[in-house]
Amino acid sequence: MTKRTRYFMAGAATVLALGLCTGLVAYYGGLPALSASRTGPDELSYVPADAAVVAYADIQTVMNSQFRQKLREAIPMKENERNEFEEKTGIDVERDIQYIIAAMSPDAANGGSRVVLARGTFNQGRLEALAREHGGQIQEYRGARILSRMVAKATEESTEPRVRRHGGKHPALAFVDTGLVAIGDEAGLKKAIDAHHTGQSISGNEEMMRLVGDIEAGSNAWAVGRFDALRNHEKLPAQVHNQLSAVKWFAATGHVNGGVSGSLRAEARDDAAAENLRDVVRGLLALAKLQGGSDPRAAALVQSLQLGGTGKTVILSFAVPAEVVDLIAKSARHHTEMERGEAPEPPEPPRPPMPPVPDR
Amino acid sequence: MKMDTESTPGTQSTGSTRGGSPSLFSSAVRVFDISVGEMLWSRRTIFMALVVGGPVVIALAVRAALFLTGRVGRVDGVAMTGQAMFGMMIWFFYLRFTVPVLGVFYGTALIADEVEDKTLTYLFTRPVRRGAVLLGKYLAYFAVTSLVVLPSVMIVWLLIAPIGGTGLAVSFIPLLKDLALLAIGLGAYGALFAFIGAKFKRPLLTGLIFVFGWEQAALMIPGYLKKFTIAYYVQALVPHAMPQEGVMSLIQGLFRDTPSLPVSLLCLAIIWFGFLWLAARTVERKEYVLEQ
Repeated sequence: MTKRTRYFMAGAATVLALGLCTGLVAYYGGLPALSASRTGPDELSYVPADAAVVAYADIQTVMNSQFRQKLREAIPMKENERNEFEEKTGIDVERDIQYIIAAMSPDAANGGSRVVLARGTFNQGRLEALAREHGGQIQEYRGARILSRMVAKATEESTEPRVRRHGGKHPALAFVDTGLVAIGDEAGLKKAIDAHHTGQSISGNEEMMRLVGDIEAGSNAWAVGRFDALRNHEKLPAQVHNQLSAVKWFAATGHVNGGVSGSLRAEARDDAAAENLRDVVRGLLALAKLQGGSDPRAAALVQSLQLGGTGKTVILSFAVPAEVVDLIAKSARHHTEMERGEAPEPPEPPRPPMPPVPDR
Repeated sequence: MKMDTESTPGTQSTGSTRGGSPSLFSSAVRVFDISVGEMLWSRRTIFMALVVGGPVVIALAVRAALFLTGRVGRVDGVAMTGQAMFGMMIWFFYLRFTVPVLGVFYGTALIADEVEDKTLTYLFTRPVRRGAVLLGKYLAYFAVTSLVVLPSVMIVWLLIAPIGGTGLAVSFIPLLKDLALLAIGLGAYGALFAFIGAKFKRPLLTGLIFVFGWEQAALMIPGYLKKFTIAYYVQALVPHAMPQEGVMSLIQGLFRDTPSLPVSLLCLAIIWFGFLWLAARTVERKEYVLEQ
């Protein structure tokens, strides 16, 4: 064997060995950058691989949008509650939270688990002190600090309904990374941390990542998932349940600024099921157009609805222009004033009639 | 060139196993040592470089497009993940083309090239068994093609797999399966075509008809005929979904029945070692008459 042949064979074997080593290291979670998602936010690496629904919201953009400002003017928030929350936690939702990711896993045995990941600025010390105040326990898990059982030692009467609301699980909070907290039940949080460390996250779920990858750039809120998870979880009327049984996947996206635009995409079981679904939506749209004809706000909203999609895909898109948002905000403001018992401004009194001019 | 098919069973050329002559394995290693360089730096290497370099160039282009546009490729308006893209490349470039074609070109040439170049006499006059010549050349084929095809797959995987949310971790086990099945495919196709090259006239044409005629047709026909192909067993080992592109793929997908893993592995082992033994036996027994 010549030297040239030996070099070639050694080079080829080295490429093979290096690739295998890289794969092996990534497989055992040693290369999070290669193990994790390149589509969607990096925090998806904390979402367990079996999650049925994943949602994202860019809180900063939504909070600073004109849409939000208009709504805030129309429906003023309860400032006291907001200030109290900020005082206790040190978190100003509008300023400190950049974006959140929520995921739902269909854990049949335990009624499902939910995890919310929030990226932002958090005062860890203050939150830990608050947790201790409420009898919370702090534990370390794979480098993350988990604050759990925060309501267990509070007055039983007040905590019972809250615990029941979480499916019998105590809410917990984990500082999983710098500027990243996860909220959910303790088991769910540990599962999320495991997903990140082992690389067995939603990033490896081909179907889900296909949906995430397909989300239009610029959407500041979206949700994707398996439709059966929603059907089984939410108590839908039997008729609606049957109609939607053909839908396998869904993806909802939204863009909020002066107005609101977005789309809802559903992937049906087959072409025939998608065509049926399109027919149903078409019928509903026609009905909505008939109903909303007299109301300019509803008419504008209905006119913006567009049905599309081919094959197994059904897409319903909408765009609510800023003018319609203005109308809705104005209407909401009026409604709020009425609820508060503030009488609307009286109409201007009619001008007194001019005195008759005597005939000459 | 003329190859006489007259056989003289039991006859051995000079250098067959006799007292003091090297064993079959050590003879094969010696032939391997000589053949590997010849095979690697032959004219066929250009063809092989093109065949295995194509997917790497495409993977680089996909990466460049992703870097420039920030979006991954779409099929029917749906963004593709790296894993799906890699699966398609394994099917289209490697499994359906590279492996059988390299098997045909290199496998049929193991003996046929020596006959054509009229150098077979020199090999057969060496003090080694004729079967060892075939075995050594076959090992050289397997080493050369594996060390060219598998690194190419590895580079494509490193470039493509992380795209679109599917990290390397998730597709690592399927990659190991891909590498193993491609190696098995190269081995099985190589053994079959080594036999064809040793036995038949115009082995290249026969091999091409087998790969692009018989195998494609048999996989489309419902029934047992597909069991007489190598692709049937190799395709059963693929961890990626079979792409349904093109009429032939659609029909093949329609009539596809997949043998179980043990059955596939057993059949491939039988094909591999069976045809290799047959090829060695043919070389040992056949009298090659070189055309002057």
